[in-house]
Amino acid sequence: MAVSGLLEVDDLHVSYGRIRAVQGVSLTVPDAAVVALIGANGAGKSTLLRAISGIIRPHRGAVRYLGEDLVGLPVHQIVRRRVIHVPEGRGMLARMTVLENLRLGGFALKGAGHGKSDLERVFALFPVLRERRAQLAGSLSGGEQQILAIARAMMARPRLLMLDEPSLGLAPLLVREIFRIIPRLTAEGTAVLLVEQNARMALQCAAYAYVLQTGRVVLSGRAADLLAAPEVQHAYLGAG
Amino acid sequence: MEFLAFLVVDGVLAGAIYALVALAFVVVYKASRMINFAVGDWMMLGSRMVASGIHGVGLGLGGALAFGCVGMVAVAMAFDRVVLRRLFSRSLLTLIMVTIGLGIFMRGSAALVFAGLPGGIARPLPLDPLVIVGVPVAVEKLVAAAIAGACIGALSWFFHGSRTGLALRAIASDQQVAMAVGIDLHRHFAIAWGLVGVLSVLSGTLWSFVAGGGFGIELLGLKVFPIVIVGGLDSFPGSIIGAFIVGILESLTAGYVDPLVGGGFSHVASYLVLMAALFVRPYGLFGRPDIVRV
Repeated sequence: MAVSGLLEVDDLHVSYGRIRAVQGVSLTVPDAAVVALIGANGAGKSTLLRAISGIIRPHRGAVRYLGEDLVGLPVHQIVRRRVIHVPEGRGMLARMTVLENLRLGGFALKGAGHGKSDLERVFALFPVLRERRAQLAGSLSGGEQQILAIARAMMARPRLLMLDEPSLGLAPLLVREIFRIIPRLTAEGTAVLLVEQNARMALQCAAYAYVLQTGRVVLSGRAADLLAAPEVQHAYLGAG
Repeated sequence: MEFLAFLVVDGVLAGAIYALVALAFVVVYKASRMINFAVGDWMMLGSRMVASGIHGVGLGLGGALAFGCVGMVAVAMAFDRVVLRRLFSRSLLTLIMVTIGLGIFMRGSAALVFAGLPGGIARPLPLDPLVIVGVPVAVEKLVAAAIAGACIGALSWFFHGSRTGLALRAIASDQQVAMAVGIDLHRHFAIAWGLVGVLSVLSGTLWSFVAGGGFGIELLGLKVFPIVIVGGLDSFPGSIIGAFIVGILESLTAGYVDPLVGGGFSHVASYLVLMAALFVRPYGLFGRPDIVRV
């Protein structure tokens, strides 16, 4: 893809000890677009997100965001650049309230004042969180926790939002609820890098997609084209 | 009956200071899971700094407190920057040994640096005890307890009302998540240790008011363990209540049991409670067991 993007990952290599989880991945996320990352378990999708958000350090390659290489920056510095990662398993502060979790979401934004309007916006999108704002996050149901995780990320006004398996373990109705949010985010100017097991839903909501296999990109292109590609249909969409 | 009331009041007043000491311990434990085995030495150094502000520099009590706080925060920052940051993500045992080492270093260097300077802090208060509904109450203890209470209140506001407090609680709850929302862990560890410095100055000074001189303050640190074990290592309200339990218990055993067995039993009593607590609720009265979902 020749699109110049908000995020450009260039020949990224990540290893855990001797296991080479990501081997030379390059990808582009254009501004305010949804890019899906699909592939089997262990293909390196989560590792790639962790490397972009600075949790693990790649040993080769670059992560260019708005022209700046993020490799080597501490996590909190990357968050301050409004690159927000919602990890798999949601990462709630279980013993803090819903409201405190949301307030922490905006922690990296400097200066006060916008916290309140951001909170109102999030409550308007997810009324369930307003109802439960005084409850401990750990007492929410799985679906509510996933909603809180996304809401908390929105409090940081992400420019790039990375969602890792947002539909994992959720009832179909909730999955639809989660996917309903994504277009609203891009409409507000947020780019989304989406890792999903549910390849069909991911491809339907994305503009572009990459298929990862054992740490390498094996296919990439417009999501609509991949949705129709026989090899994707066969391997990831369960079609003949 | 009056004697009982006297002992309970005395225990409560001591408990207020113990609570401040315990909070100095819990602040660090919550933020970084580090067990500071040298709380008593921190208190000792804090009170010695205040004392030398008065006797060495010639400051008033207020100025000396500020002097002590600046000094102890500097010590805390240096410890965090020079030692702890290099040991980040090392084993807990290593970190515990480091706190013990620092404690010994503090004791040794205090003896050298403050040689010749008196360690006492004169209290600006009358010595006659007040008599409240027939129970005599030592004024210095009452004032010390009131100040300790005010400090605990301020600390509680700090943790629940301020941005930095919120961040510290997030780190206590889950370091990975705290990082993911953009909290700079190292900066907040440094803040936690700075708080330990300030709390050391305050509780060390208050203890000097009550017990006179800098004598035996290190031993105050040992009382922290029964308190936080009873209260739960990671619970602020728990450790405050634990402090009052230990204070009252010590006072009661000192009043009723020590005359029978010949003194000193009151110091052991809190450890008996500690052991009982470990049998019944190993995570403390208010602590929470770590539940791991498999």
